[in-house]
Amino acid sequence: MIVQMKRMTLVAHKDDEAHLLQALQATQSVEILEGGVQEAGQAALEHAEDNVQKLSEALATLRPFGEKQGLFAAQPEASVEQIGKALPAAIDFSDKLETIARDLASTKSEIEKNEALIASLRPWTNFPADMQTFQNVCGVKYFTGLIAASDVEKLEDIDACAEYQLFNEGVVRTCVVACPEDEAKSVANFLKSLDWTDFVFPKRDGTPALAVKELTELNRELSEKKSDLEQALAKEASGSAKMVESALDAAVIERDRAAAAAELATTSATFQLEGWVPEDKTDLVEKAILSVTDAYYLSVRDPAEGEIPPSVVENKKFATPFEQVTNLYSRPDPKGIDATPYMAPFYVLLFGMMLSDTGYGIVLAILTALYIKLKKPTGMSGGFAHVLFWGGLSTIVWGVLVGTFFGMDFDTLFGTTDVFPLFLDPMSNPIGMLILCFGLGVIHILFGVGLKMKLSFSRGDWQTAIFDNLSWILIVCGLILYAVPSAVEGIPAAVGTAGLIAAAAGALMILLFKGRNKKNPIMRTISGLGELYQVTGFLSDILSYARLFALGIATGVIASVFNELCSMLMGSPVLVLKILGILVACALLVALHAFNIAINTLGAFVHCARLQYVEFYGKFYETGGRAFRPLGYHTKHVRITDEPSSMSD
Amino acid sequence: MELQWGTIFAAAGAAMAAVLAGIGSALGVGMAGQAGAGVVSEDPDRFGSCLLLQLLPGTQGIYGLLIAFVIATKAGLLSGGASISATAGLTLLLAAVPIAFGGLLSGIAQGKVAVSGINMIAKKPEEQGKAMLMTVMVETYAVLSLLISFLLVNGVRV
Repeated sequence: MIVQMKRMTLVAHKDDEAHLLQALQATQSVEILEGGVQEAGQAALEHAEDNVQKLSEALATLRPFGEKQGLFAAQPEASVEQIGKALPAAIDFSDKLETIARDLASTKSEIEKNEALIASLRPWTNFPADMQTFQNVCGVKYFTGLIAASDVEKLEDIDACAEYQLFNEGVVRTCVVACPEDEAKSVANFLKSLDWTDFVFPKRDGTPALAVKELTELNRELSEKKSDLEQALAKEASGSAKMVESALDAAVIERDRAAAAAELATTSATFQLEGWVPEDKTDLVEKAILSVTDAYYLSVRDPAEGEIPPSVVENKKFATPFEQVTNLYSRPDPKGIDATPYMAPFYVLLFGMMLSDTGYGIVLAILTALYIKLKKPTGMSGGFAHVLFWGGLSTIVWGVLVGTFFGMDFDTLFGTTDVFPLFLDPMSNPIGMLILCFGLGVIHILFGVGLKMKLSFSRGDWQTAIFDNLSWILIVCGLILYAVPSAVEGIPAAVGTAGLIAAAAGALMILLFKGRNKKNPIMRTISGLGELYQVTGFLSDILSYARLFALGIATGVIASVFNELCSMLMGSPVLVLKILGILVACALLVALHAFNIAINTLGAFVHCARLQYVEFYGKFYETGGRAFRPLGYHTKHVRITDEPSSMSD
Repeated sequence: MELQWGTIFAAAGAAMAAVLAGIGSALGVGMAGQAGAGVVSEDPDRFGSCLLLQLLPGTQGIYGLLIAFVIATKAGLLSGGASISATAGLTLLLAAVPIAFGGLLSGIAQGKVAVSGINMIAKKPEEQGKAMLMTVMVETYAVLSLLISFLLVNGVRV
């Protein structure tokens, strides 16, 4: 069901602004629209953003120290007030953590810098003089640099007045060249012709050997400091991740409120809030406002022409999780219909048919039930968990109908003969199974066309309903009826004739009335012919349901292949090998079936979704709604326990 | 010794189904894996979504294995028992053609779509569902190939 949205306008005193926003946030049912820019609000928003940023960074620092959360571990629960109280302490903590982390980072970079320095000075350890003062000799120019060992011999050709000295062995050798200052230019040019790289000593006193020693000593101290800091960080981090997580949630709640406040239109004494509220929540919102103040003006009206409300749907308990499946495709147009309640039963039916193994269904249903029970997931993952749970139940039923249990026949399991499958065996009667798939497809597709008809009637557009939709139902049903007498014995041929007449009537309707807004009768017929070509579209839509069968055998046959492989392992005539084989086979069976369940559940989920989106929704669904984003508690780590109606003030 | 043509054809069919469809999946999953590793190196939280997309082109290989196994069972290759007629063997070989080539080519094509989908997840993580759907569209044709191969193999009398 699509919920009607109302446009609300609230005007109240500025003094009440903070409390009113708090109260509205607690209702979680008002989406606030941008009204202007409030200077004072901007500063508060920046501060709130800062807090979120700080805590996110703290959480990132803590992540390596945090303990792993189990798959089934439930989220902690708290009220807004509780997590809000922890916020200041958490900010202090994150400041402290940041100081340590920054210290640690700078220590690390200093160690790295020193190490690079040591590496560059090491070849110079035989250099006997002070690095800064050796050049202070009047009239002499020194060149320090690195020269390739292969070019060392060429140094002999240097100017007669220049001297050189080498300080190490190896491929690249450290070298100092000295010459009178007036010869410097020619010596420099000579050096350029060699494989020579200038080397500048770092700004340190003493000989390179001394510098290396000092730096090594320094790095030892820094390493100690680093490990101290790391220990301090680990100590701070242990067990504090939970606290920071809930504080981050509190900060996000505060930030959302600040963001809303910063966008309100204001005068010197009042503020004006424009927003969307679902029709059934208007009382709740008004009560929330009343609990803060009675000096206010509130108007709630229907959306005007051109105002596009967000799309909100509400469904019965069974269909609600399936909204997530619809949302994966697109939200409904707020003026269209919500397809979810119509899609949900088909989804369950088709999903079970694709997986169609009682054993797998039991595993899937139990796992998802446990997940829902223990983890209490909400939102998308919660929705999908419920969808898979229903899918699992349906799989159990289909497994009984087609007679497979972990890839085995029910008959071999129970020792019965010919009791199972209850319905039909796809291996021995594949054509029957295909007909079943196509039959379900026809029902599914025509149901979609019927929904479109209903939608058109409800808008008063009976022509579309009759000529564009009913005609297709007539054609498809008629053609099927026409084929029945030739395929099944004992059906009178009159049924076929009736079908043919119905199909012809449908085709005639399309031919004559498809282009009903065109005056020219020739153009009219041409657009009717174009529409009739759609029959190929219906045909391919129906054939698409063959995937139900294919995915069904993919699950069943692969499961039996796994069983067969493992029974081969168990079949050794030697006793020791047999025992070993049984052990290995049991472990392998669990792993292989788990793999098969995982991959086929994924396959069934997506292929079933595709049948809904393309074949079913394609017939009637109108997309394009945008999500409703009320001011509320968008927390990630803590489940807020406040009831939407209660006031946190 | 006289060659058992029926058995040889059947074995060739089983091998072709497993090998060609397996190559398709290997290429598809490989491509998607490379793209996924790139995204995960930037944002490790995307691992789950990337893995799901990487997994999707892997089904062709499984379908190929399935048909290979059904052919092998039908021709008695696993038990080493009865020989089958050359006609039956050749039919089994031809029955493997749809899943062999359908699997090979759709696996590669699906891998390419999965790569694009993974790139999409890198930019818009919330659109994961759409990326998966587009990838699954390609798989339709592998599923149809599987169906025809299965029906053909099932129909062979030995």
